[in-house]
Amino acid sequence: MGGSSSAYDGPVTSSSEHRPEGRGAWAARLLGGGVEPDPRFTLANERTFLAWIRTALALLAGGIAVEAFTPAAFDPALRTFLAVTLLVLAMIMALAAGLRWLRVERAMRRRAPLPLPLLVPVLAAGGALIAGAVLVVVLVAPQGGG
Amino acid sequence: MAGPPATPGRCTAPGLHADPGLQPERTTLAWNRTLLALVVCGALFLRWVPRHGAFPLILSALTAILALVIVAGQARRYRRSARGISSGRTSADVAAVAGTSAAVVLTAAAALLVVVALPVR
Repeated sequence: MGGSSSAYDGPVTSSSEHRPEGRGAWAARLLGGGVEPDPRFTLANERTFLAWIRTALALLAGGIAVEAFTPAAFDPALRTFLAVTLLVLAMIMALAAGLRWLRVERAMRRRAPLPLPLLVPVLAAGGALIAGAVLVVVLVAPQGGG
Repeated sequence: MAGPPATPGRCTAPGLHADPGLQPERTTLAWNRTLLALVVCGALFLRWVPRHGAFPLILSALTAILALVIVAGQARRYRRSARGISSGRTSADVAAVAGTSAAVVLTAAAALLVVVALPVR
């Protein structure tokens, strides 16, 4: 792909002197070549990233809450399992959200098809695992244990 | 507005845009929701303080600082995206996205550390 070709009339190759706000060389390198997409698409991509980050934050909050607020409801091993699963899922989501934002941004700059959201099956599987675990515990656990 | 027109200062005309999709507003609000979620996570860390001591307190403070950093950038962010919409050209905010992503990853890693490694007092 490479942005070194001068066939683009577009603003972005390797220099950023056209840019009033300027951009670090590392950021330009991360984004690769291509031309700036429609600003609305850039902002939409940013909002999508933020939606994924909020998903990660919700999982993070869930992980903390399960560990910190349910000492009477779950036995320690299960509590730790649920918290660790939620927190690992939160880490994966937050990391993948940033990477996906970058991949989408790069694809838009090259007018290429957008990448598939690999996060969706991961989130679905993780959510199903956690919900299943809680369901089993609720059904199996002796009533009135506390 | 009846503001003094004689101040050709910082946020006058560039703040305006003609986008009926209200993209700058929605993006700024999305950052707002995100920092609120961050504050919630930071508040939840406080629950660990009696059991685990200072470490969760530090985590809570760090998330609060990150939220404040996002708040401090909101006006600049709005102005920048409004200007981008009206000029037809904007640059992707790589630093904000990369920084937020890394910060949430690190926060989750720290929470994981508390769950699996930190001794209960």
